[in-house]
Amino acid sequence: MRLPNRACTAVAIAALAAAALAFGQVSPHLSTKVLIDPDGIGKAPITSWPTFNGDYSGERYSTLTQIGSANVNRLARQWVYKITEVGAQRGAPVPVIKSTPLLANGVLYFTIPDHVWALDARTGTELWRYDWMDRGGHLVGQRGVAIWKTTVYFLTPDNWLIALNANTGQELWRKNYADARKQYFSTSAPLVVKNHVIVGVGGDAMDMPGFLASFDPVTGDLQWTWWSTPRKGDPALNTWPNEATSEHGGGMTWMPGTYDPELNLLYWPTGNTNPVFAGQGRAGANLWTEAIVALDADTGKLQWYYQVSPHDTHDFDNTTAPILFDRLVDGKPRKLVAQAARNGFFVTLDRVTGKNLIVKPYVPLDWSSGLSPEGEPIPIPDKDPTVGGSINIVNASNWPAPAYSPKTGLVYVNSVEGKAIYYLTDDSKEPSGYGGTGEPIGHSQRVLQAIDPLTGNAVWTHSYPNLNNAPTTVGPSILATASNLLISGDDQKNAIVFSADKGQVLWHHELDANESGGVITYLLDGKQYIVFGAGDSLYAWSLPQ
Amino acid sequence: MRHPVYRAMLVGAFVVLAGIAISQEAPTGDQNGAQKHVPYQNMTPEQRAAATRTFLGLGAEPDKEAAARGTSLYQQSCAFCHGPQAHGATGASLITSDEVLKDDHGEHLVPFLKRGRPEKGMPAFATMSDDQLKDISEFVHLQVEEVANRGTYQVLNVLVGVEEKGRQYVAGRCVPCHAPGAFVHIGSKFRSPEQLQRGWVWPARDGDASSTAIASVKMPDGGAISGRVTQVSDFRITLVDRAGKTHTIDRKPGVKVDIKDPLAAHQEMIMTLTNKDMHNVTAYLETLK
Repeated sequence: MRLPNRACTAVAIAALAAAALAFGQVSPHLSTKVLIDPDGIGKAPITSWPTFNGDYSGERYSTLTQIGSANVNRLARQWVYKITEVGAQRGAPVPVIKSTPLLANGVLYFTIPDHVWALDARTGTELWRYDWMDRGGHLVGQRGVAIWKTTVYFLTPDNWLIALNANTGQELWRKNYADARKQYFSTSAPLVVKNHVIVGVGGDAMDMPGFLASFDPVTGDLQWTWWSTPRKGDPALNTWPNEATSEHGGGMTWMPGTYDPELNLLYWPTGNTNPVFAGQGRAGANLWTEAIVALDADTGKLQWYYQVSPHDTHDFDNTTAPILFDRLVDGKPRKLVAQAARNGFFVTLDRVTGKNLIVKPYVPLDWSSGLSPEGEPIPIPDKDPTVGGSINIVNASNWPAPAYSPKTGLVYVNSVEGKAIYYLTDDSKEPSGYGGTGEPIGHSQRVLQAIDPLTGNAVWTHSYPNLNNAPTTVGPSILATASNLLISGDDQKNAIVFSADKGQVLWHHELDANESGGVITYLLDGKQYIVFGAGDSLYAWSLPQ
Repeated sequence: MRHPVYRAMLVGAFVVLAGIAISQEAPTGDQNGAQKHVPYQNMTPEQRAAATRTFLGLGAEPDKEAAARGTSLYQQSCAFCHGPQAHGATGASLITSDEVLKDDHGEHLVPFLKRGRPEKGMPAFATMSDDQLKDISEFVHLQVEEVANRGTYQVLNVLVGVEEKGRQYVAGRCVPCHAPGAFVHIGSKFRSPEQLQRGWVWPARDGDASSTAIASVKMPDGGAISGRVTQVSDFRITLVDRAGKTHTIDRKPGVKVDIKDPLAAHQEMIMTLTNKDMHNVTAYLETLK
């Protein structure tokens, strides 16, 4: 066993402030204490951005209008914070910011694996940094922190939930919730709902079951656990050959879900089934992997599910955000949830009942023979990975955040159109692990789509020209604003602002790297800022005075 | 590998490959394709395994020599219950066993095996030496490695098609565009049938006219430039003209870009190619050595 070696370099704010003063960098507002009112979390974000998606809906929509189509061409860089003190990380030669920053009381929080920063949002000056020394786990990404009152919550690659003092970065407590030796690893941002810190987990190398866990925000005590696959006595076991395959069936919860306070339901996307590419040992639909599940936020009890990819064999890993919005359908107000799934289907469901309104491909695909009586796509067995190779689509979306604008009524997603050859590398009766592989073939094209969630049809699309294949796993997230802006980017280092209604390019700027994390916006001292990570740097933009 | 286009395509392909093969991301290289290491596809099997092991943060690396010594001991004493590859039989799979996964190099498993688990019907292996039990432990760890480390995976025999049907497909669908002799010896141009399959479905952009995208750019003042495209975005196109001169042109209003890609027909084919046709053609082309 390696020795625990946890370097916690967060320093008391007073000492840092003093140091910063010596260099004349400190803001006069620094004395403002960070304190987030739990009752305010989930309201439309204006002067703060207190959750991964800004609010609970996953819309990533801002009501701010100071920056609009008339003045966006004057957008100017206010500051850039570049990570300079963290070198190559295990398996990642350059630090890449894949987090969505949070803003609270003028302090920005952002992360990479093993590290949390607090910056003065007015100047981009570092207030404190927290460093973790992991003992295993996957350093593939870190999506950001959660905040509640004066506490920041952070997940480590080796599955520790760490509570930090939001003002000083000092560690308050830590809880380990999964074993990194079983290849569980964590990249998610926790989600704070009432008095729950909801934590999801990743890791599909070793056929482990996924789960979602809820912790007390003050003590870190476990409140409930929901397992992504059924246990003894559950009728859903009939979608697995037996208990053993279910208990090793995957369904990780590695992206933050969304939440409806009125219904008190969490909407969580569940990841791929295990073994990943080799499905011959797990005949059946394999619930509740590859699904959207609605869970009671206080108990973790399953209220309904909709399985987007029954019996998945292509790592369709259903982790793209389920977006919550309300619309009139046939004259009646409806509570809806929509997802541009990684399997290439766009789905709109009633979020009270889970019944489907729209299930329609949004990229060219031919792996499904139709819909089941439950409205779920039926996979064609001939498209399963084989020893000789089987052609199917690449993932049509991934973790980078989509958006929804109540003004246009459209869902926005950076999709990928293309094919891959999937090989079965473990053709035994009871395979393990991935059991296969997928290699892209031909050109993979990234296409920004504006989809009407009540028809499933794209109202407009924008193909990003690129001779290279679109990387499916990294790519700009999206933010929509009330001033008809759609903020995203391409794979050639350009930040791009489109008009949300028509997809016209209004502004672009070449960065030092591709946008790599979530895009946020907020008012600070009456001024609207746009902030996002691109590679190793966090950029803040606003209009000149 | 000499032409920038080809290198760019290869790197792009690598990033997507890794993206599919590995749920959340690629094992090496950064998001912009600026490779600082050997591209994954160009690595030796050993390099792939090591890079993936590092990327995944897998635990202690199994001792392969000890595992080799432990193979026959395992097969004699353990395989009956736990299966020849430790995936389980009448007894549990050892791949996801808590007892196995908390062990690095036998420090836990050796005393565990000595004791056995009589309450669950597992005998004690008290007569084996510590070294033998350690070798068995390493064999089991190697089985875990071969599941958890997907950098160790090997594509199996892809020659599953029917040659004659492949010949018919080539005659009907490929020869009309390609010269009749285009496929002579194609079977000997690739390292493996898998590479052949990949190579005929989507030929590498090696810089010759049959695989290079050509752009014609018309400027607002009426001028025109054409050449081999090295990259294009919404805002810029870079191309190399016949004289070898590189042009970078901002795509301002009035600039018209027309790109002709000779691989467009292959892209169209890929979108509808059936698995059977793919297997049959590969089986046929493999015979053209």
